[in-house]
Amino acid sequence: MTGVDSSAESPAVALESARSPITAAVGRFCLEQVETARDLYRVFVVTLYYSVRGEPNRKAFFRQMYEIGNRSLIFLCIVMGFIGMILVYQGGLQTQRVVPDLSLLGATFLQLLVRDLAASICALMLATRVGAGIAAEIGSMVVTEQVDALRMCATDPIDYLIRPRFLACLSVFGALVVIAAGVAFLAGMWTGYAFFGINPRTFANMSMVGPGDLTIGLTKCVAYGAAIPIISGYCGLTAFGGSEGVGAATTRAVVNSSLAVIILNFVISGTGYLIFG
Amino acid sequence: MQVETGTRSQPHPLSASVARFLSVVGGLGVLLSEILRRAVRRDFDRAELLRNLYRMGLKSLPIVTVTALFTGGIMVIQAAPIVQRYGAQGLLGWGAGFGTLREIAPLLTALMINGRVGANNTAELGTMTVTEQVDALRALAIDPVAFLVTPRFLSIVITLFLSTIFSDALALLGAAYAGAGFLGVDPGVFYRGLTTGLLGFGDVAHGLAKSIVFGCVIGLSSCHFGLATSGGAPGVGRSVNATVVASAAGVFVLDYLLSFALS
Repeated sequence: MTGVDSSAESPAVALESARSPITAAVGRFCLEQVETARDLYRVFVVTLYYSVRGEPNRKAFFRQMYEIGNRSLIFLCIVMGFIGMILVYQGGLQTQRVVPDLSLLGATFLQLLVRDLAASICALMLATRVGAGIAAEIGSMVVTEQVDALRMCATDPIDYLIRPRFLACLSVFGALVVIAAGVAFLAGMWTGYAFFGINPRTFANMSMVGPGDLTIGLTKCVAYGAAIPIISGYCGLTAFGGSEGVGAATTRAVVNSSLAVIILNFVISGTGYLIFG
Repeated sequence: MQVETGTRSQPHPLSASVARFLSVVGGLGVLLSEILRRAVRRDFDRAELLRNLYRMGLKSLPIVTVTALFTGGIMVIQAAPIVQRYGAQGLLGWGAGFGTLREIAPLLTALMINGRVGANNTAELGTMTVTEQVDALRALAIDPVAFLVTPRFLSIVITLFLSTIFSDALALLGAAYAGAGFLGVDPGVFYRGLTTGLLGFGDVAHGLAKSIVFGCVIGLSSCHFGLATSGGAPGVGRSVNATVVASAAGVFVLDYLLSFALS
């Protein structure tokens, strides 16, 4: 089966009887990580397969778009608005210590926003809100045996549950990032005007945003948008053991999606810097 | 809408959500006063506090380490174009250092602890609530706030404070070596940039003061939503979701207010 049903004879168990406890612990840990990575990869590939070949399920797709997109919008806008104000305020204070001229503050802020912060902070917030939501929903379906019922009906839970969430998150994430970046920029512009007297026209300076910055930002949008639903869906599907299990799955989903966002950010930023400078 | 008619119709959705919001705020306030009363009187379970510190603090170290190292690297990569434009390699330490110490390290550590410890705490308290273990404690005349909630609240605050110190140091380490890798800036130059006098203890204290407030937010909201859980396994999932969202929003809003209050 394509599923994530944990096989009974995992290699991790075979190490149980090893002699040195430290080696056994390290080995068990490594094997578990490898197994998890392989399962995640399998879920990802199967989701991609169903996305291309499966029958479109529009109703579920639009419901998930509403659930992931519209219902996160206010939360994201509040967070990004405050982030914009904080960054411009702190950045302005620090820049004043070194150079008195603040006219490039807006241009630098916009570049930073496009290149990194808009996508990454949105992704961290979405990993929290949407990731926890997906894992809690799928996890409670698993422990109440609804997912087994799906399997009994010859429906793959990856096709029925994860695919709509994956496609919806992928398509809605870019729009969310653009809106949230706009809010953050406006909040930053207001802060620059109110605290440092920077003219909004001077602040809205797009000269430093190049095609490289846009490419890096959009790559991040796609990568995060794909990673969050896959990881949280996987954590939900591997839930076991009643309400405690649902809680544990939700925790794992939030932690693992956030870690994935941070690591992907490092990889994409590093690659982008080496390519575009 | 139809208040004048006197019939008890469904409340308007907006007023219902305002009422829900106010009830959460009220619940948080009551819980905070209960916790503080017991913390001041030292009327809580010490063994439980130590056990929670181990589970929440020590077990979070791997996540905090990974997050901090990568965050430091990201800060340097983001500062790299600016550094190269002005050729100011000596300022890299200052640029990455001030952003890390004042904002990014406390903020990201709080978000990770929120995801790992806050969510886990809600899940545990929520499970205890829906399986009526909390009611059992009350039936045995054991005060759940003194036995369960106060030790967890205190240990989340302590955990976040110590993790922030830890991740400050590790993020700067990650930044120094990312600077060496991507920009060819010697780590020695980086550390000198940190210590030339543009950064002071005030910047570190600023971040640490924030981390205490963030810890209070996360601890309070995770305990409140955990105890307010209802409705079996799906209810636990809903509570965990509500906690992480409320804590994350609270952390960002308070971060903004504190940035003004402390500067």
